[in-house]
Amino acid sequence: MIEVKNVTKRYGSFTAVDNISFTVKDGEVIGFLGPNGAGKSTTMNMITGFIEPSEGSVMINGNDISKKAKKAKRQIGYMPENVPLYSELTVKEFVKYMAELKRMPRKQRKEDIEKVLKETGLEEVQNKLIRNLSRGYKQRVSLAGALIGNPEVLILDEPTVGLDPKQIIEIRNLIKELGKNHTVILSTHILPEVSPICERVIIINKGKIVAIDTPEHLEERTKEENVILLTVEDKEEHMGNVKEKLSRVKEIKMIKDNEDGTKQYMITSDAEVDLRKDLFDILPKQNITIFELKKAEATLEDAFIRLINAREEIEKATENIQSEKQDKIKDKEEKKKAKEKEKEEKKKQKAENKKERGEK
Amino acid sequence: MWAIAKKELKTYFLSPIGYIFIGIFLLMCSIFFYLDVVQYGSTNFEYMFYSAATVLTFIIPILTMRMFAEERKTGTEQLLFTSPRSITSIVCGKLLGAAMIVLITEALTSIYYIILMCFGTPHITTALITLLGYFLLAMTYISFGMFASSLTENQIIAGVITIAFFIVTWFMPNFIEATLDFSFINVFSNTFPTGSVTLSSLVLLISTPILFTILTILVLQRKKSVK
Repeated sequence: MIEVKNVTKRYGSFTAVDNISFTVKDGEVIGFLGPNGAGKSTTMNMITGFIEPSEGSVMINGNDISKKAKKAKRQIGYMPENVPLYSELTVKEFVKYMAELKRMPRKQRKEDIEKVLKETGLEEVQNKLIRNLSRGYKQRVSLAGALIGNPEVLILDEPTVGLDPKQIIEIRNLIKELGKNHTVILSTHILPEVSPICERVIIINKGKIVAIDTPEHLEERTKEENVILLTVEDKEEHMGNVKEKLSRVKEIKMIKDNEDGTKQYMITSDAEVDLRKDLFDILPKQNITIFELKKAEATLEDAFIRLINAREEIEKATENIQSEKQDKIKDKEEKKKAKEKEKEEKKKQKAENKKERGEK
Repeated sequence: MWAIAKKELKTYFLSPIGYIFIGIFLLMCSIFFYLDVVQYGSTNFEYMFYSAATVLTFIIPILTMRMFAEERKTGTEQLLFTSPRSITSIVCGKLLGAAMIVLITEALTSIYYIILMCFGTPHITTALITLLGYFLLAMTYISFGMFASSLTENQIIAGVITIAFFIVTWFMPNFIEATLDFSFINVFSNTFPTGSVTLSSLVLLISTPILFTILTILVLQRKKSVK
């Protein structure tokens, strides 16, 4: 179990990570999402004890990373960003050195090294110099270095960056496999990576946690309307009548006129309304043949961008208000606007608070 | 500590650094062996070490400049400092690795001793005392070089700082006579090769490496909280 409590990291006046707290349960795979410069790596470096937090504490299975460093660090396998490796060593030498660094008992070492090399698919290149390996293999070597010593907690900082699609799938499957008997924290800014692997997602932006939830919930939470994509053959041009028949439809928009005489429409309704059944009933009556009908899924990408933008808007509004307070000469109209903004912001915040409470 | 020292030693010989260090050292020693010993027709093994001590100024940075600077540049320090090893044991391991290189080179100088044995009877005690002093001097230099390397991620800067420091301590007494007892190379030359060991020279050449080792540890600990 990893407990991160009120961790803050400041560099001078710049706050890289601002008072974040979360727990990762045993055997859980958690995704750490955020745009570049959000504080992902800084947080990971603090969890692994590479840098010291300005405030707060990190506990690994009950051991404080800065007070009981040796005990805590022994339970962590860390794969840093940009895969730093000793390029002058061979793959096997590197893994052996990592095993020694982690104080593995000599007897166990040999067996474990072979096991890890097998798991990461490095057996064939084990006697090659790391310097001569391709990026994908280097990534695996780094992962092997994290895995050796059988740590309970794995911390992987952007493990699939710079890989080709095939390698990405391989590494992803490997992580999925590892998630079965390890606690994993995985950072990434590639969203599709998170949904299939992670049980929970932490979205972080500008050093603050924006949301912690399952990928599915996050997708649903940010959905404001239901979108259905419909491809039909409509020889008699009856599609215009459909909107009148279905009162719950918000909008019907043609998005594509295919060469084979079919047309694709986008039909939107409120989030709680599902129009699919109604469409199946009504369209044949209008002599419209359905070729394809599907619900457009809200992606994690939408959720991510929406959550981050919402937070940024709130911040901008707060900043505006603060600067106006300092500047007394500004006319009253602007103050009114600010107040309006403040109100809006409060509403938003309340909504957010409710959501957060909901999560808890 | 041993794991790190072993890896350091291995790295010295996987890269050209170890060979360059030993090669330059032996080349210089051979020159001084000819100039200071053979030309005088003496069997005093220790004479060549007066000049050989000055060589340390230029070759020790080869060993030390990469110690922490390289790890920081390539990011491998993340592996090192997130492993269940204390900073103290990491620093001591690195120091030990470099110390072993020095011991290897000193062992190689026995060639000169053997050559002298063919022509006369060189003093074994003086030779051993000289080697001890030479080792302590090298450790003093290495500890400072390591300290310089912990300050920066640029190896060249670390190397230049190190050479500058050695040169300053070397020529310091020429400007201020009172500093003679703190000039490492002079302290070495004035005692060990003459076959005598003074307490003050031992204290200087043992306490300085300890001081810089502690400073290195402090620098690395501090880096952890400001990084």
